[in-house]
Amino acid sequence: MPQMKTDTSLEQTAVSAQAIPRRRGLPRVQELGLVIVILIMGLGLSIFGYVAARPGEDNTFLNAGNLIDQVATPMSYYAIMAVGMTLVIISGGIDISVGSIMALSAFTGARVLQYMPVNAPAWQVLPVAFAVPMGVGLLCGLINGGLVVGLRLHPFIVTLGTLSIFRGITVVTTKFQELPPADRRIPLAFTDHFMRMEAWGHRPMPMVVMLVIAAIGWFYLSQTVGGREIYALGGNEEAARFSGLRTNWIKLRVYAVAGLTAGIAGMVWLGRFGGASTADATGYELTVVAAAVVGGGSLSGGRGTALGALLGTLIIAMIQDGIIALKWKVEYQLIIVGGAIVLAAAIDNFSEYLRQRRLAGAKASV
Amino acid sequence: MIEFRGITKTFAGVTALDGVSFSVGRGECHGLMGENGAGKSTCGKVLAGIYRPDAGAILIDGVEQHFSSPADSRAVGIGMVHQELAFCPDLSVAENLCMGSYPRRILGLMINRAEMGRRAEKLLGSIGVNLDVRQNMRSLSTAQEQLVQIASAVGTGARILVFDEPTSSLAEPDAQNLFTLIQNLRTRGVTMIYVSHRMPEVFRLCDRVTVLRDGKYVGTLDRAAATPDEVVRMMIGRSIEAYFPQHLSGTAGKVLLSVRNLSSPGKFRDVNFDLRAGEIVGFAGLVGAGRSEIAKAVFGLDGRASGAVEMEGEPLQLGDVREAMRRGIALVPEDRKRQGLVLMMGGRENFSLAMLRRFCRFGILDRRSERAKAGEFFDKLRVKTSSLEAPVAAMSGGNQQKVAVAKWLGRNAKLLIVDEPTRGVDVGAKAAIHALIDDLARQGIGIMLISSELPELLNLSTRILVMREGRMAGELRRDEVNQDRVLRLMAGVDESGGAAA
Repeated sequence: MPQMKTDTSLEQTAVSAQAIPRRRGLPRVQELGLVIVILIMGLGLSIFGYVAARPGEDNTFLNAGNLIDQVATPMSYYAIMAVGMTLVIISGGIDISVGSIMALSAFTGARVLQYMPVNAPAWQVLPVAFAVPMGVGLLCGLINGGLVVGLRLHPFIVTLGTLSIFRGITVVTTKFQELPPADRRIPLAFTDHFMRMEAWGHRPMPMVVMLVIAAIGWFYLSQTVGGREIYALGGNEEAARFSGLRTNWIKLRVYAVAGLTAGIAGMVWLGRFGGASTADATGYELTVVAAAVVGGGSLSGGRGTALGALLGTLIIAMIQDGIIALKWKVEYQLIIVGGAIVLAAAIDNFSEYLRQRRLAGAKASV
Repeated sequence: MIEFRGITKTFAGVTALDGVSFSVGRGECHGLMGENGAGKSTCGKVLAGIYRPDAGAILIDGVEQHFSSPADSRAVGIGMVHQELAFCPDLSVAENLCMGSYPRRILGLMINRAEMGRRAEKLLGSIGVNLDVRQNMRSLSTAQEQLVQIASAVGTGARILVFDEPTSSLAEPDAQNLFTLIQNLRTRGVTMIYVSHRMPEVFRLCDRVTVLRDGKYVGTLDRAAATPDEVVRMMIGRSIEAYFPQHLSGTAGKVLLSVRNLSSPGKFRDVNFDLRAGEIVGFAGLVGAGRSEIAKAVFGLDGRASGAVEMEGEPLQLGDVREAMRRGIALVPEDRKRQGLVLMMGGRENFSLAMLRRFCRFGILDRRSERAKAGEFFDKLRVKTSSLEAPVAAMSGGNQQKVAVAKWLGRNAKLLIVDEPTRGVDVGAKAAIHALIDDLARQGIGIMLISSELPELLNLSTRILVMREGRMAGELRRDEVNQDRVLRLMAGVDESGGAAA
């Protein structure tokens, strides 16, 4: 019968062998697996790129031009949104309206920016160019979150609705299909001198934005109270409520962030292409969800990382780049990316099964 | 006719039935009684093929039967009327009744709705029930659902019916109808096993009563020999004091929690009690008597609760968990896996979940202090785990419970509500948790202890409040408390031995 005088038990444990090891944790295998997959694919594509290169020329895959302009830049929109999507997925929800939010953000940005002089100075242009798409994205995200929380609807239904609504708003509020019209231009301070800015012969700005967003996402999820609350909500909403967490507020927050990242993706798009059309980013939500899931996000909630979202997007981008490099029909990428999603989910399922078995084993031995 | 021979059933290491043997005669209505968790429902479910016993056999008419599914047991004529509904709520009564053997027409492609309706009406008619079989299951009352269950069992030719707490969610008139139906079925030669902990109805309906305790068979009484006193004695009948240390009640301090006229629609009504610092107030009652619901209301989890609750003399705003937490109230919920812990998170993360703000600066977590604090409390409570990061899913039930307690002790709770603190916990961990609760009370923390285990309540509590059907049925001081009196209050049997109104 252990008597637990609290004052003495502390002293006891100082000498007891049962004191819990403080530091050791389970290794994070999820991202390690992703890195291995990326290295294998990268190696394969590099070998192919070496063979395919004409004598005296660079490896067609492993060169800065290809990696930045053909891999990192096209994947930047997906990756930025995948970080936001990962937050939603960790919380146990889903947001399939991000493609429409991105289009609405980019389009609204174009509508505003086209009225500024082409040579307006950066200090005037950039704040507007940042604030409008991001503000639109944030607002859309808040609407999603508000509907999920306020009406207690399933997020899939809500965002399926807003997927259509946001796209519809983009279309009906204008008579143009593309902005700016032929006689106007988006100020160069935002396009040529910022998002298309050249450095060492490349245009790395979309990649830089992507990396910054991923870093912020990593920091938020792993280092802050807000991030921890999202994991708790997705891990067990009931327990989160019983611990005094404001579950509604947390939900609202993740959808707002997902909208915000879609707004940022719209901003990058607008800056890179100098315009937007009402059909932009159609179907992107599927790739974004896929990237988050390939990156280790669990649709049942509680698991996922920002780094995983980035790496998951990278895998999909490499598949797409590889298909082009191998000169396969582009249509095959649909099949291969789809297969990769199913495979990733299956691997995730299997590793979860192994983990459960290990837990059962550990339980029996304690 | 039915013979249980040495039936043993364990769930994840917890023994629910331990070598239970008894027999039931043909055409008999056999009562199966016992406390919460005595194994009576499990026993019924083994007969109905829902659980497969680990050891032992069931003999029907002298033939040994091994049921691996409810279908197997239905094939030999056993039907079960469940506590919970086992139907598709959005299909019609007729569709539910004919499920699995729909009448067909046109090459077996179409369902013959007219025939289905006729068949369903015939089934219901066989037990004298008249219902519109086209309405959805969802639109039926609990009592009507039960009748459909009975009709479906009897209609498929069941000779043996198992009733699992059939009156637990019925109003009085519906219960009376059910009793009449049961008596009719008995005159038709149906053998019945009636699982209940409500003494009055068991005495009214059953020819013989078998009592289980802690998963073991205690005895069988004829109705003539069965008195409430005798049955209560058999249901308790252990000298549990050997296992549980008596709580050495310290001095109770000032009033910590004061509850006046606390009500919540459909859950409990007009609850009044005081709880002093350093006191352990036990809440006894049957499952569903409203004890956990009161705990949730005090902790702010019930938005519809009304009444006046004061914490340390100041009014407490109901329906706000964070307010309750700020005022020093903590709740260790009854279902630790569903409500108490995030199983996929590690011990450290679970520990800090209710006080994340204390481990951060500008919203950024300080893992070092989080780790230190979690380690300190885990050591204090002797949580056994491979590391602070190992997911709590990997821990044993007792250690999980300690984590669930630790997370509130870390907040310096003044009032600790513990709901079923030792459910599904092995004996050693149970003793440790009891000692912990005792020790906390001695440090001046007020404890509201909800438990379905009477020995636990009797040995730890300074006072016991007994609840029945959402109301306070009585209060027993430490010096006047014994299992018999608590059980009588719980079940609604008065002191003289008869059934209370």
